Amino acid sequence: MIPLSLETVSYAGAIGLVVIGGLGLVICNHLFRMLLALAMAESGANLLLVLTGFRDGAIAPIIGYGPAGAPLVDPLPQVLVLTAIVIGVGVQALAVAVLVRVYRSYGTLDMRELRRRMEGEIAAAAGIAAPGSAQAPLGQRPLPPVPDYELVRRSAPVRERGA
Amino acid sequence: MTLELPVDLLFGLNLDLNLDLTRVMTANAIVLPVVLPLLAAFLMQPLAQVSRFLARLLGPLVLTLGAWIILNTWLEVGPAPFSVAIGGFAAPLGIVFYADQLALLFALAVQVFTLLFWPGLGAGAKSEVAADRQRAPRRDALALLLASAATGLALSGDLFNIFVFYELAAVASFGLVCADGSGRAWIATLRYLFISAFGSVLALVGIAILYLQTGTLNLAQLAQVAPETLQGPIGLAAFALLLIGFGVKAELFPLNAWVPEVYATAPARVSALLAGLVSKLAILVIVRLLILVFQQPEASQLLLVLGVLGVLTGEFSAWRAQDFPRLLAFSSIGQLGLVAIAFSIDGTTGILAGTAVALHHLIVKSALFGLANRWSGGLDALTGAAKGAPRAAGLFVLFALSLIGVPPLWGFWIKLLIMVGLVQGGSPLDLLALGAILLATAVEAHYLFRVALRLYQPPVPDRALRLAPPARWDTGVAYLLGACLVVISVAITPTTEALRVLAQQTGDVLLYIDTVFPQPLAYKE
Repeated sequence: MIPLSLETVSYAGAIGLVVIGGLGLVICNHLFRMLLALAMAESGANLLLVLTGFRDGAIAPIIGYGPAGAPLVDPLPQVLVLTAIVIGVGVQALAVAVLVRVYRSYGTLDMRELRRRMEGEIAAAAGIAAPGSAQAPLGQRPLPPVPDYELVRRSAPVRERGA
Repeated sequence: MTLELPVDLLFGLNLDLNLDLTRVMTANAIVLPVVLPLLAAFLMQPLAQVSRFLARLLGPLVLTLGAWIILNTWLEVGPAPFSVAIGGFAAPLGIVFYADQLALLFALAVQVFTLLFWPGLGAGAKSEVAADRQRAPRRDALALLLASAATGLALSGDLFNIFVFYELAAVASFGLVCADGSGRAWIATLRYLFISAFGSVLALVGIAILYLQTGTLNLAQLAQVAPETLQGPIGLAAFALLLIGFGVKAELFPLNAWVPEVYATAPARVSALLAGLVSKLAILVIVRLLILVFQQPEASQLLLVLGVLGVLTGEFSAWRAQDFPRLLAFSSIGQLGLVAIAFSIDGTTGILAGTAVALHHLIVKSALFGLANRWSGGLDALTGAAKGAPRAAGLFVLFALSLIGVPPLWGFWIKLLIMVGLVQGGSPLDLLALGAILLATAVEAHYLFRVALRLYQPPVPDRALRLAPPARWDTGVAYLLGACLVVISVAITPTTEALRVLAQQTGDVLLYIDTVFPQPLAYKE
């Protein structure tokens, strides 16, 4: 049994954030949620990085601060994490900018819909047939009737949940 | 006693400095190919306000200068590796640049290939030029940032510094990919950005684990402490995270879904730079980590498995592709899998084979993407293109033959080298990789010959008009690279010998450590 210290909890939290972020990126189809998941994964990685310099009961590594001879935390990860945070913020800002452009061009932020449109446009530009849907029938058989709830969903591709 | 030691050391160093002042000066110039493009990229926009002509010239000029500096350094300093402490802060505390022949070769390749595939050179029709003029400074600045970051990746000897350069290259490539501003390019960029950023998160976690275990991120110091601290599952986990993280740009197996979309929507020259150049530098970083830090056999096996998966998925997807850019993109995934397999072979043979296949892919795939600049349609539309552009079609056949590995060409010798290496390794995994390569070669031959046949069929009347021959600049570049390929194929023995020397130097861990932490010779005596 691992003792439940502050350090263990922090490490578990940091790795958990990365895992939650990764899962969010895979599961979510809304682009803004994917961006939030990415931000979460990045904060997890940054937390892990800054934890590598952590020492229990140590003080800030400033000369003349605190009692002489007291243990100091490792300052290097703090410098590194500062750089990593700045990079992360830059990339996320860029992602938001591109997201706005995508929304202006297509009017939706649904990943599946956008991907379908992109594939279609690439195929149209290349003059080849668009990749077929897995649900489309191969032969001349008629499609099964579309249930009512599906019709509602298809007419409003962007849903504002909780709005 | 303690007082005398530093004084002795100081005098020793001073003496060395006086004797070798010119050598030190030349060696220090190696930072310029990283710094100058960075500076020029930020000066681009103000300069464009003053004079558009000068702004257009700035990029090629800086890259030419960078190439000249690297060549000059290589010739002056000689074949021995050297390290440069940035800002005069010595190795474990400060950041070092480590330049051996491999690093210099790739740094030179960055300058030359960015110049050859410079997005602004030999732009298309006159109507495009007017619209292009507005975008040119921004795009040129991004291309310079990409060149600077890629050179930094080749030279840096500090893992966190490498991470920063990697991120810089990523951001620059996002900008270049969506440069033409079409809706599909925005979507492809966004998906690429998410995958790439998540890869960076994984790499950052790997770096954190590495720092937790060793307390340093300097590659030479990591090489010293790795045998005690990074054996076992934790070291392997760190390697796996770094491999997958840096593998995004290297188009390695799990995180390469961005490749076909981006290459189908980005300008062809940007695809050439990303597929040819940036992927090789990401591979170079992984190889440095593999050689210096993660020497356990499991790490090589992991690289081998990802390589095999890349080769199989890439080649079979390319076989199914119906348009030229995506065919090249999937084939590029397969080829980079081959690079990964080659580098996973033990010892000098592996590094030799890996460097050779990486250089071969750099030359061939860049040239093919250059040809795809005007041939970006479906494969059907290429029918009869040889009639309009006989030279471009001939060059395509030459590059295709070398990619498949038809005997007199360089590609054959490389595949032979890899296969011999795998057979010498002899483990079941190696033999599985061998089988995968043979199968992939057959598939590759089928889809490339299919394109070649289509090029030489009689043209369909209404389609022949639509398809313009590749631009003169791109054909010229393809000629140049084709000439390189033929020269190397003829002079195969000296090339392989030169690469063998390079590979021995790269594989020498002690040499790396000694170069970064030099023993004070004067004091010893």
